[in-house]
Amino acid sequence: MQNTAKPKFNLFNLIAFVVIALIAWSWFGGKSGTSQPDAQHDSRALHVLAGSELKDIEPLLPQLEKDTGVRLKLVYTGTLDGAEQLAQGAAYPLAWFSHAKYLELLEGARARVAAREKIALSPVIIGVNQSKARALGWDKTPPSWSDLAMQAAKGEFKFAMTNPTSSNTGFSALIALIAALSSDPENFTLTAAQQQTVQDFFKGQRLTAGSSGWLAEAFVREQERLDGIINYESVVLQLNRSGQLREPLTLIYPREGVVTADYPLLLLDATKRTEYDKVVAWLKSPAIQKRLMTETDRRPILPSIPLEARFGTQTLIELPFPGQRSVVDRILTSYLDEQRLPAHAYFVIDLSGSMAGERIDALKTALLNLMGADSSLTGQFARFRAREEVSFLPFRQYVEPQVNFAIASGDATEGSLSNARAFAQGLTPSGGTAIFSALAEAYTQIAHEQSKHPDRYYSVVLMTDGANTSGMSLDDYSHFFRQLPAEAQAIKTFPILFGDSDSAAMEQVAAMSGGKVFDGNKNLAAAFKTIRGYQ
Amino acid sequence: MNRLLAPILGLLLLAGLGYAIYNSMNSQLALKAQTTVTGLIGSEKEAFFADPRVQHALLKQGLIVKTEKAGSRQIATAFDLSKYDFAFPAGQPAADKILQAVGKRPSFVPFYTPMVIASWKPVAKILEANDVVREKNGVYYWFDLDRYFEWTQREVRWKDLKDSAAYPVNKSVLMRSTDVRKSNSAAMYLALMSYVANGQRVVASEQEMQTVLPKLLPLFLRQGYTEYSSEGPFENYLSMGMGSSPLVMIYESQYIFEALKTPSGIRADMALLYPEPGLFTRHVLIGLSEHGARLGQALENDPELRQLAIEHGFRTTDAAAFKAQAESRKLAVPADLVQIIDPPSYEILEGMIQAIEQQMK
Repeated sequence: MQNTAKPKFNLFNLIAFVVIALIAWSWFGGKSGTSQPDAQHDSRALHVLAGSELKDIEPLLPQLEKDTGVRLKLVYTGTLDGAEQLAQGAAYPLAWFSHAKYLELLEGARARVAAREKIALSPVIIGVNQSKARALGWDKTPPSWSDLAMQAAKGEFKFAMTNPTSSNTGFSALIALIAALSSDPENFTLTAAQQQTVQDFFKGQRLTAGSSGWLAEAFVREQERLDGIINYESVVLQLNRSGQLREPLTLIYPREGVVTADYPLLLLDATKRTEYDKVVAWLKSPAIQKRLMTETDRRPILPSIPLEARFGTQTLIELPFPGQRSVVDRILTSYLDEQRLPAHAYFVIDLSGSMAGERIDALKTALLNLMGADSSLTGQFARFRAREEVSFLPFRQYVEPQVNFAIASGDATEGSLSNARAFAQGLTPSGGTAIFSALAEAYTQIAHEQSKHPDRYYSVVLMTDGANTSGMSLDDYSHFFRQLPAEAQAIKTFPILFGDSDSAAMEQVAAMSGGKVFDGNKNLAAAFKTIRGYQ
Repeated sequence: MNRLLAPILGLLLLAGLGYAIYNSMNSQLALKAQTTVTGLIGSEKEAFFADPRVQHALLKQGLIVKTEKAGSRQIATAFDLSKYDFAFPAGQPAADKILQAVGKRPSFVPFYTPMVIASWKPVAKILEANDVVREKNGVYYWFDLDRYFEWTQREVRWKDLKDSAAYPVNKSVLMRSTDVRKSNSAAMYLALMSYVANGQRVVASEQEMQTVLPKLLPLFLRQGYTEYSSEGPFENYLSMGMGSSPLVMIYESQYIFEALKTPSGIRADMALLYPEPGLFTRHVLIGLSEHGARLGQALENDPELRQLAIEHGFRTTDAAAFKAQAESRKLAVPADLVQIIDPPSYEILEGMIQAIEQQMK
């Protein structure tokens, strides 16, 4: 008994020792690992307010998490919109845009940036259909911005470009254009003749959008009627690789220069410094810089990585960028009120009985915002602007007479806008829903207007909260639409989903015109405001 | 079986336990000897503190250094300095500003670097044809600030210069600097140009300041958007090239450090221009705590850290070591600089910056 009991006792003792030793080991020997749980083990993602143009970086993020333990979740928005959100205090630990220059000019936003690191480069350039580039000799000698304006005025150069007040590519191109044409580029001032050249340039803008990504998609659909697209070099290179183009795009770097996006990653919450430093170190490592070049077509920020051949070898002149917010605002306002093709926006709005109550209030708020009630930065730019024609087609079981407003100036207190506000205040819902008859009426008007004023940018917004109950059916409308002149069929419908609207029918209406459906259920005013970027 | 296993396990366990205790004692002893110091630094010293060799040398002095980057001129105003052990801005004026905010503290000047202009051979050739740049001994170029200043007053453009075919650009001949409100290197540029604008004299009175200011404003306003820290414009210079950055005011140390890297971003068509007159940026470490002061002493006195500073492109009081490195690595940098001026007093420089700031709003 004793012989067997003793070792058993010892073994038990040993097990106790093992346990104590293991505890001691893990306690003393575990270094500081236990004191920083979130760095390695915590899987909570860091939210990044990001420009939608960074979507193509998402496939790299699982590798980032694997290598650094930091998981990023990108929440997309437009460049100016994002800048404004940050200025108003939106709580994101990080932000990542194609550039942060405008953001840093906004007092409230600038103060929030604790650190900034540029990650990659992509100039905003012009992709021109190869045959067009050859015909104009641009493949041999790059054109100047004024050459582009001259061909645009002659109707020889029709291009797609985003709205400078909602998207960075349009914004950068506008800054580049003004700096290139100005005889004093550092001050962004224009003589009357140079102002005329800017207007000439925008005569060629035949497709616009609120986002660079959607613009590229729409360009693919409408490449037959367009000669080129203004976008990031990376997007033009990706389009060329996509296999979706009838002919490749020639990369045009205008002679006076370009404005380049530098994709700074911004730290907003200083307590996330450790994670931020890891992410930056990873993104700027040679291996990842190379992947950013080969997989996303951006130029590496790391100078030791040689550029691949498709980026070309020309010296890229970087044009000045304003250092004062007032200068940027002056450039954007001048674009809207003086330089762009004047817009003619049709609003086909549902006044059926089901709109009564909260819905009509939401619609009124949304419309009043566009008529001067929204004094925020983006609100001012989204407002109806000088030279714009705005037509309302309210409908019930019948279409009401069209109400027009000609906006005389960019001033929010101006008479035509106060008339418009009175009109919006007086909207009263009742009756049925004749969606397609109203839409058909809008396009009939547009076809008529187009023949009188071809140099306007037309668009249709359709807001309805239910299914069609009277007048034309969707089939009738499709048939009607196909009979329209080609120029009228190119005018886009932007339906807004609201309440119980028929989303399948709305998708069809958008698709036949090359438009896009927006969801107004969460925030109707925000949907109207976003669509302004497409008008 | 058990009889055999038990003693072996027992021995193993004792050994394990012993090792665990030894290990923990060891790391606790080490922790006692080492102090972590946290400080704010100008971005131009980030690579120095991130260098494992520097960290190792500091560890030998019992120091673990944690740094956060900030614009040198922001350190005094935008941070709660009681949370830090040291501040290490670039430039005496920025250091003076911090000392004014925190009261009397020990300060150290472990190294310094001259202000230089990063440029390109084709650009330097054009400037040479227009008598702004002179080549000397086939290696470096002297840059005539006086004549350049005169150009800025006339808003001379690149395409209007003689023999400018290699750079026919409609932009003003204008040096890029950082944001003068935020960063020392732009303040040093302002110091240099104020000397030139004041007829080759350091601006010393309110009256002189008011006379030169209108001439200096366009040097900054016309740059448009400027970056916050010295790293920004140099990064643009390296990765965006001549078209973005024909002339950039930088620290010499930035260029040398990049040139010594493998692979390096410095290419054959780049050129370093030395302004005449020239100006040194002193890197001043302010000890905000006792431990922070220890770091200042170590950087000033430890031979290994002093040598590493030279390898990061800085100059120390050991001119021979700097020269030896330049010669052995074939760097086109002059060992001795003549015609070095002093920056204006802190009050004058600050007054000029504030006046420019008013105009930038």
